[in-house]
Amino acid sequence: MNIAVTEPVTGAPAGEKSDRELAREELTIARKYIGPFPVVMAVWGLGNLVCWLALWPLVMTGTLSLWIAFPLATLNVALCYLPSHEAQHSNYAKSGEPLRWLNEFIGYVSTIPLVLPFKTARITHMDHHTYTNDPERDPDYGVKAANWWQAILTGIGRRQPGQPNAYGKLLRAKAEAGDETAKRAMMEGLAQTLSFWVILTALAWSGYAIEAALLWWLPRHIGMSYISLFLSWFPHHPMNEQGRYRNTRHFHYWFGNVVSFGMEHHIVHHLHPGIPLNRNAAAYRELRPILEKRGCRLDGV
Amino acid sequence: MIGKIVQTLGPWGPVLFGIGFLAPLIAQSMEALEIAAPFGLSFIQTGLLIGAGLGLAAKLRGRWI
Repeated sequence: MNIAVTEPVTGAPAGEKSDRELAREELTIARKYIGPFPVVMAVWGLGNLVCWLALWPLVMTGTLSLWIAFPLATLNVALCYLPSHEAQHSNYAKSGEPLRWLNEFIGYVSTIPLVLPFKTARITHMDHHTYTNDPERDPDYGVKAANWWQAILTGIGRRQPGQPNAYGKLLRAKAEAGDETAKRAMMEGLAQTLSFWVILTALAWSGYAIEAALLWWLPRHIGMSYISLFLSWFPHHPMNEQGRYRNTRHFHYWFGNVVSFGMEHHIVHHLHPGIPLNRNAAAYRELRPILEKRGCRLDGV
Repeated sequence: MIGKIVQTLGPWGPVLFGIGFLAPLIAQSMEALEIAAPFGLSFIQTGLLIGAGLGLAAKLRGRWI
């Protein structure tokens, strides 16, 4: 396996800033963007959920055409992950803070359209941050592919029955080691997944199979592919380096940062997960000289 | 208890999906598209045959596509 672990050079030539000075400057800039409650992300998460839920009665009562609702539902599913991602990092409120309930609430409910259990997402995502690009320990390593369309095909392949589930495997290993949170995550994940299939089946046998397929089942598959491509593959490609400043990259997407859900600046998120997504671009612009000195992969710049 | 149920039903997931979701989806799609069911079968009978068949094939092959 060709994996290079690259860490920044600690010695600095005369006249250049030392590693410690760079780290201090980086932290000073990052702190400017951490802190205020990320209203945009909270409104995004809850508003997106309300939009998706509203599609059901609108379609079932014939108020809205299913063919208009289908792309909207797909957009809702694709958009639902990132607000929960902020909650996974406790960016709405840390443990013990007054708004902690809101952090957990957004985390749990915003990914209902995606059927992604919050605790599972949080545990596996923290391991992704700790072991980014580690073939054995990064639960998102399975997205590795030579190019974008192979990444989509790989993702579809990973969702086929009987294929190993990296998230399930990680949770099981933690649960067997006595991790109570992992045990709870497994139970919650099971309950949420079973609920999804029961609701889908009930809708289908009640005469709403096409609605269920085009408002939830198919949008979920398209959304999962989109999220996997833009949130996992693009920012980490080619996934052959580890180390704080090399495991994630900045990239330019052909259709812009908005279409890539802000992932062009994902390197900022890996360096400082406390900066909410909507402040990553500004933080990146300010951090860029430091990132260049650190030898970060600022592709396409 | 729940773990045991899941362990038992899990491998049959594709077949359950074929019967639980694909069958009514196929039946309602045929009806919406005005496609006649073959061999004098009803829409749902056709859906059940195709859905369960596809689910069984997916279970045996280990993949839908």
